[in-house]
Amino acid sequence: MGELNRLLTIVPEHQRAEWLYDYELHFRMAAENGIPEEQAAAELGDPRLIAKELLLGYRVHQAEDNSTVVSVSRAVFATVGLGFFNLVFVLGPFIAVLGVLIALWAVSGALLLVAAACIWEGYRGEMFSLPQGFSLAAVSCGLGLLSGAGTLSLSRGFFSMTLKYLRFNTRLVRGGRA
Amino acid sequence: MNVQFKKGVLEICVLALASREDRYGYELAVKISEKFELAVGSIYPLLNRLTQEGYFSTYLRESSEGPPRKYYRLTPEGAAYMRHLVLEWHDFTRAVNEIIEEGIR
Repeated sequence: MGELNRLLTIVPEHQRAEWLYDYELHFRMAAENGIPEEQAAAELGDPRLIAKELLLGYRVHQAEDNSTVVSVSRAVFATVGLGFFNLVFVLGPFIAVLGVLIALWAVSGALLLVAAACIWEGYRGEMFSLPQGFSLAAVSCGLGLLSGAGTLSLSRGFFSMTLKYLRFNTRLVRGGRA
Repeated sequence: MNVQFKKGVLEICVLALASREDRYGYELAVKISEKFELAVGSIYPLLNRLTQEGYFSTYLRESSEGPPRKYYRLTPEGAAYMRHLVLEWHDFTRAVNEIIEEGIR
């Protein structure tokens, strides 16, 4: 019981209390029915595994309410905690796709920077005149915004797919209905 | 009994038991383990997940002895989900039985 509580300290108090209540009651009821505490604890299984399972459900749920890089990554790491299988089949692809997304964001940012540089060059430099600078800036700014918008929707899609897959995957690993 | 059998049907058992009246966790564990041997530890994470998915709502009710019990009540979505599972189960078991009968005849 103490160990379970300790393992779940990252979860907000009220949520943790609600989970632990089930287990506390279990011990009390078992005691009323004359089952010794050790046996009741053994029946429930490894507290570390219980904590991992509870935490995973919580993380995925949280990430679904509010998809950010941080919350989705947390859900991914909670899944990885459940076994080696997930290390290879969840974390690997996740990091790979995340890398691609970051690269795309960098491209969008670079295009916007180019736009600023074109204006500056047209204003001060010799390479091209002010109107030329502005039209080049407009082109690269447009491309930057376009690729930024594309990357944004890609990122959103990727996060929601990841969460769907995590849900499916948990049931698979637990051997439940897939 | 085969462990692989039990893992899949625990969800349907819990939902079905809770559909007639609200149940508390320990009661569910005892009821099910009367029928087949069960890893009691698997029932609470399951209840938790079903609650998070909106199939159960929970409330505390005083009991004559001991602390208040945490009851699980099937929501309308939960009831619909259970009916869906039961239909699937019937189709599935009928198919499996037919295959077995053909095989060992």
